[in-house]
Amino acid sequence: MITLLTHLSWGETLSALTGPGNLDPLIVSLAAGGVTLAVLILVCTPLSWMLARGRLPLPRLWEAGLLCSLLLPPLVIGLLLVFMVGPYTPIGHVLGWLHQDATNTFLALVIAEVYESAPYYVLGAQAAFAAVDTQLEQQAGLLGDPPRRVFRRVTLPLAAPGLAMALAVAWARAIGAFGAVVIIAYHPFGIPLQIFVTLQETGLASALPFALVLLVVALPLPMAAYVWSARADRRRRG
Amino acid sequence: MLTADVEVDRRDFTVHASLTVAAGERVALFGPSGAGKTTVLETIAGLVWPRRGLVELGGRVLTSTGSPAVEVPPWQRRVGLLRQDPGLFPHLPVRANLLYARSAAGAELATIARQLGIDELLPVMPARLSGGQRHRVALGRLLLAHCDALLLDEPFASLDETLRRALTVLVKDLSSERKVPSVLVTHQLSDAQAFADRLLVMDQGSVLQAGAPDEVVLRPASRRVAELVGYLGFVPAAADGGGHGSAGSPAGSGAAGSAGPDAGVVAGVHPDRVMPGADPSRGLVVTGTVEAARPSGAGWEADLRSGDASFTCRLPDRPDSALVSVTLLDPPLFAPDGSLIPAAAGVSPPA
Repeated sequence: MITLLTHLSWGETLSALTGPGNLDPLIVSLAAGGVTLAVLILVCTPLSWMLARGRLPLPRLWEAGLLCSLLLPPLVIGLLLVFMVGPYTPIGHVLGWLHQDATNTFLALVIAEVYESAPYYVLGAQAAFAAVDTQLEQQAGLLGDPPRRVFRRVTLPLAAPGLAMALAVAWARAIGAFGAVVIIAYHPFGIPLQIFVTLQETGLASALPFALVLLVVALPLPMAAYVWSARADRRRRG
Repeated sequence: MLTADVEVDRRDFTVHASLTVAAGERVALFGPSGAGKTTVLETIAGLVWPRRGLVELGGRVLTSTGSPAVEVPPWQRRVGLLRQDPGLFPHLPVRANLLYARSAAGAELATIARQLGIDELLPVMPARLSGGQRHRVALGRLLLAHCDALLLDEPFASLDETLRRALTVLVKDLSSERKVPSVLVTHQLSDAQAFADRLLVMDQGSVLQAGAPDEVVLRPASRRVAELVGYLGFVPAAADGGGHGSAGSPAGSGAAGSAGPDAGVVAGVHPDRVMPGADPSRGLVVTGTVEAARPSGAGWEADLRSGDASFTCRLPDRPDSALVSVTLLDPPLFAPDGSLIPAAAGVSPPA
């Protein structure tokens, strides 16, 4: 951050950010990142809970799948996504019937971001749920709460700090996704691609303002999650 | 009334227990660790499904493996379970923990909190409470939930003896006052005796004996039960009724006195049921050599050897010679197969 700030020219930064259409990638990144977070919360939270509580068949296989997508280079994920959701694949055909396309579209950007960030969220959320003592859930049940209410009143509040941190990491990963995105979703491009394109076309100095934008956009959520988690922990300790 | 007759398969044995607990009655399941006591409680609470069984509470069938099968989920059973870990919700202050079940009015909260001595702790987070305070809050939470039965799974085992006794008496009084059937699981005989009207001794998944706590201790149904309830040795004896007379000799030269030992018949020695000196009118006189003696509480604990048998007893004073005679007060006699000899039946009051 210090290096970035010391190498930035504020005049160039202002002119770069106020140029016509120069903030469009920021809007695209924020929109795609927001949709990605929604998908992670809605789909991956239950998945994480099931993994933590051993409710999924073949749990080791699921974990291996998550680790694979975590360890694979993002560029390779992009290549594989082309074979999974490209226009000539079964999924591509289904999307075609729905007048959708998973290459070089907003949908493709979201898919790439979900693939790059989901393992970080699922593994973090799984650990957060696993840390909740199941005897507390049993106790809540014996006090009259059915499972859904136990989840809402006990499991979720106790796992929340861990979930927030996992979500923050996933957000940072999604907003900065580049490898898979450059393969499957070159257009419409978000901030990371804009940095890359600017670097290629006009050089390092012109790309730095957009790097600053990426940091400014990516950092607040993790910082807020950290502060909130620490506060929740302090409150619990009384 | 709570009735449970359950069989639960475990890896090494099948737990089989049958118990009936009237409203306001207190029953203790006593036995060594791993005997299956907690499994019985968890089956009543609906956390474990039995291979065969019937659990009824206040006329409601909670579990039935018969036809039609019934399995009321834990959240509809109205059964309170208090474990060694009080299970307070760490994200909620004491007040919210107490009112978790949302079935109590504010006035009742104040009354219970005052009874339990936690009325000044209502805004405090559980992390700030001591072990005893946590258990009081957990108990209050169960009482405010208006449970129809109270299941206590060694709840105070981690606390010091004074606090444990105080909380046990508190639970005893509260469960009697509220006419709630209560079951305590413990491997501490003193806790079971302090709490229960009735004691069930369990071992390896089976109930070996059920009865009043003093009856079980003074007349254990078998040698195994005697070992579990604290008998620390067995000496050869005669089955002449009542276990009176004398037995054993220090040099292993055979029995002496009015009643010689029968083959394989033994008298159980409970360390607290031993009187120094020979008084055949009060029990079985045993003469033995002192192998070791050490202070114990306000008196002395001595290891004696009489013939091939050795046993431990507690005496008011340090043994003053290497050879001492003691009287086992009305000891239970056991046949070679380990069963209690009926002739010795007839409970004597504690000395």
